[in-house]
Amino acid sequence: MYLINKSQVLDIAKELQKEYQVYGPVMEKEAKQCMFVKVDDIAELDLNAPIPAKPPKHALFPQFERIMSYQYDKKNQKVEIKPDFDSSKKALFGLRSCDLTGVLCMDRFFLGQEFVDDVYKNHRKNMFIVTNTCNVPFKQCFCVCTDSGPSAQEGYDLNLTDLGDQYLVEAGSDKGKALAEKLGLKNSDDSHKKAKSEVIDKSINAFDAIAKDNKAWISRVVNRVTTGLIDEKVWEYIGNQCIECGACSFVCPSCTCFNIVDPVTGPETADRMRTWDSCSYEGYSRMAGGHNPRKPVEDRRSKRFFCKLSYSQSKKYLRPGCVGCGRCQWVCPGDIGLPNVVTYIRRDIQK
Amino acid sequence: MNYKSGICTFCGTGCGHLLDVRDDKVCGVFPMQNHPVSKGRLCVRGWNVHELLNTPEKITTPLIRKDGKLVEASYDEAVSYLVEKLKKVSPDEIGFLASPRSSNEDNYLLMRLARSVFNTNNISLDCDPGHRISLDVLHKGTGMAGMLGSLEEISRADFMLVVGIDITKQNPIIGSEIHMAARKGSRVFTIDTRVTQIARLSNGFLQIQPGAYKIAIAYMAKVLLDENLADVDFIKKHTEGYDSFTKVLSSLKESEVVEKTGVDIEVLKTLARDLALSRSAMVFYSSGISGFDRETVSYIYNLYLMAGKIGKEGCGVNPITGINNLQGSKDMGIAPDLLTGFQKLSDSAAVDKFNKEWGVKLNTQAGKSPNEMGSKLRAFVAVDHDETIIRNVDDIKKTDFVAYIGSYQNGFMDYAHVVLPVATYAETDGTFTNTERRVQLAKKKVEPPKNILACWQVFSKIAEKAGATWSYGSPADVMKEIAKLTPSYSAVSHDKLGIGGVKTYGLDRYDAEKAANKAAFAPVDANFAVPLASEEYPVLLLIGESQHYWHQNNLMKKTHIPLREYNATLLLYPQGYVAISPQKAKELNVRDRFPVKIVSPYGSMETLAQVTDKVKPNTAYVAYFVDEMVTKFFMEHKDVLKRGEDTTIPVRIVKV
Repeated sequence: MYLINKSQVLDIAKELQKEYQVYGPVMEKEAKQCMFVKVDDIAELDLNAPIPAKPPKHALFPQFERIMSYQYDKKNQKVEIKPDFDSSKKALFGLRSCDLTGVLCMDRFFLGQEFVDDVYKNHRKNMFIVTNTCNVPFKQCFCVCTDSGPSAQEGYDLNLTDLGDQYLVEAGSDKGKALAEKLGLKNSDDSHKKAKSEVIDKSINAFDAIAKDNKAWISRVVNRVTTGLIDEKVWEYIGNQCIECGACSFVCPSCTCFNIVDPVTGPETADRMRTWDSCSYEGYSRMAGGHNPRKPVEDRRSKRFFCKLSYSQSKKYLRPGCVGCGRCQWVCPGDIGLPNVVTYIRRDIQK
Repeated sequence: MNYKSGICTFCGTGCGHLLDVRDDKVCGVFPMQNHPVSKGRLCVRGWNVHELLNTPEKITTPLIRKDGKLVEASYDEAVSYLVEKLKKVSPDEIGFLASPRSSNEDNYLLMRLARSVFNTNNISLDCDPGHRISLDVLHKGTGMAGMLGSLEEISRADFMLVVGIDITKQNPIIGSEIHMAARKGSRVFTIDTRVTQIARLSNGFLQIQPGAYKIAIAYMAKVLLDENLADVDFIKKHTEGYDSFTKVLSSLKESEVVEKTGVDIEVLKTLARDLALSRSAMVFYSSGISGFDRETVSYIYNLYLMAGKIGKEGCGVNPITGINNLQGSKDMGIAPDLLTGFQKLSDSAAVDKFNKEWGVKLNTQAGKSPNEMGSKLRAFVAVDHDETIIRNVDDIKKTDFVAYIGSYQNGFMDYAHVVLPVATYAETDGTFTNTERRVQLAKKKVEPPKNILACWQVFSKIAEKAGATWSYGSPADVMKEIAKLTPSYSAVSHDKLGIGGVKTYGLDRYDAEKAANKAAFAPVDANFAVPLASEEYPVLLLIGESQHYWHQNNLMKKTHIPLREYNATLLLYPQGYVAISPQKAKELNVRDRFPVKIVSPYGSMETLAQVTDKVKPNTAYVAYFVDEMVTKFFMEHKDVLKRGEDTTIPVRIVKV
């Protein structure tokens, strides 16, 4: 473990920029909104900014991405199909632990045992990840209930923890260690380790004040969702509030569903595009013959929460699909962000 | 930072978004959390706007029709050809069809072009009169041509009435605001002919007979009168014309209300009492193509005035516009008889102001909508249209000359002799006025494709070729001129418009205390006739929107995800559908997706049945979206449609 002065912490990002495209939290000045984006000017990075509105997943899995191009040569009757991958090396700097957990969930889906997604792999390989411990939880957060924070446990190259005037820098990989050594960071001692655990305890305790009744019930609700012991009326109550915008999936750090379209771009050319998709849309689950096993909106909604909060899904990710960031609560035009859904199910259980 | 702030371009809500701009391309979109209206939310359309901006179906070059085919040309050639053709016909034979999607600046310049350069007042929107009815009623009553309440104050309304609008589908984020307020304790009540989502989310719902909104609202006013619940202090202090309104109400009979509305009269009474006794109250209804008639709007306005629920915090009469700049287009004088800011062509002082500024002498005789010109239409210019259905297609085919000006390919191009491409809304600056009169600036985020001009530049070029000298350097210059000539826009200037913009009239909402004049009750009549079913035509057919199809939307078809959603409906019901109740289905011996025939006195069409409990047994509902259905059936009902899509057609439904 190492230490770096607060005033120098961005040196890590500067060093990374020599080799990587650096992504990190930046405040958009006009709208005053934190976004996790690619930065050219390292000084724009803000480790104290609130949890980014947009999770870093778009760096690995963009909203709208060309993954292939076709070109038809009419004269020679030849087709050229080119994979069109962005293979630049990327570094994610200042990632919150919930978002790292989201990346790990995506890894299990896209890089799973049976099938490897080359497009995702190209974004993900050679990636450098620097996480940032949350000393204070943000008001919509509940990572302590989903085992994804407030400090990263695995999957990072470097993990930063704010200890006042300096950051504790933990190396989680050889790559991370090499970078810390290269920057000549001084070593930390046991007192710093203790200071970090105090910071984390304090942060976890702070959840008591913000994690009102709903959040602590997540494990009970996981049990209920798995066993299917939830009254249909609860799903109807939830489904009635769904405006079918898709926002919950789009902002979810662990949602991986996508759609493939092949727009024709010219008389002899076409693209293959991959776009984010959402289980809240009716067309999402419609099958080729027209049959739709999840036509009513409440069936589609229950599917989402099944995906985030059931044992069978946990087997896939080796953890719950929900990472506790609370973004779905932010963007939902209904009132059915995940924490609220937990509340509705809890009410039903308590009845 | 590759995210640039802007305004969603689809509906009249005017949500804030951030566009992901990389290498001069829009690659994604994200909601804006600090936007006063949308507060970090977007609907399915808003979340997929980047797909539209990336469509290959853009117009990429000016075109001129030669030997029946559109061939590439330069702007100079195309503009010269257009001017030459328009100069050949007399001014009253030219028609301009403007768009409720164009920015205020572009609409203003088109209005100036029509009136001052081509000397015609034949300019309108396709959806005229629609929103105009609301503007007329509210302007005449309060002097404010636009929504009287504020979307920001929805959370402060104790009582809300949602009348005849499927608001969570048409303007989802406004629907969301209403729902959120309800969760925090506001009482929401829906009156509709169909069971909509907001109906299910409301504290109460009345499923009313088609066409009976007017009598239901009038009865609520009568309850206030009979039970001494009218806000007499407010009426005395802030209004005029109350007595003539109450006189009309006296003839209204309870039995007639019961018979015509088909609802529980006690519930309607409770509703009236709740409205009167609440601290603050709002009403939302659809304005635009699917809006109410003048009488219904007048009754709604009068009811709220009588209850003292206008001009105070958390109060207001709120016509909701379906398209992003419908309010702004009307503000920019896109109507046969209006100048900007609802100044009338018949008002000589206003006309003098424009004459002086433009150095012309305007024709003050009100024009006509090109849709109503018939065979008189000889040259036709359409700008930035998004519908796939052209209403006056037969007239257009017969004209000598058609021009289409827009960013995306459109059905008008099939008839056009000249096509002029313009930059999309992400490629130029422009302001848009949302349903609550909020003027917001969407800044240029990407460069237009090489050799493509912005709309304001194209209009300036046309003016120049026609011999006028315009000297605008930017859309900001245009807004300076608009502000100078338009009292309600006097505070609007591009450099002052930040996140959330400003509202017209310099007022967040209509304020009874600050108003110069008393609010006047709208004149109304006591004709409460409702469309009646007969033995021959026993079912009342309603027309409206469907989930992902919206305003016959040519734009939605250029996206991927919303298009798939639309196709999901179309794959189930390729010829469109008519929604009938399970009871009716049983009667006809049909099931979902069985072919049926709809017969009206004007014609008939075959379609598929959709069996749903959302409609009453004696009504049926048709989504207004399948080309053939609309062109072959509804277009024959011109007189009926003119009254807005809320109108009903008595029909007979038979099994095929």
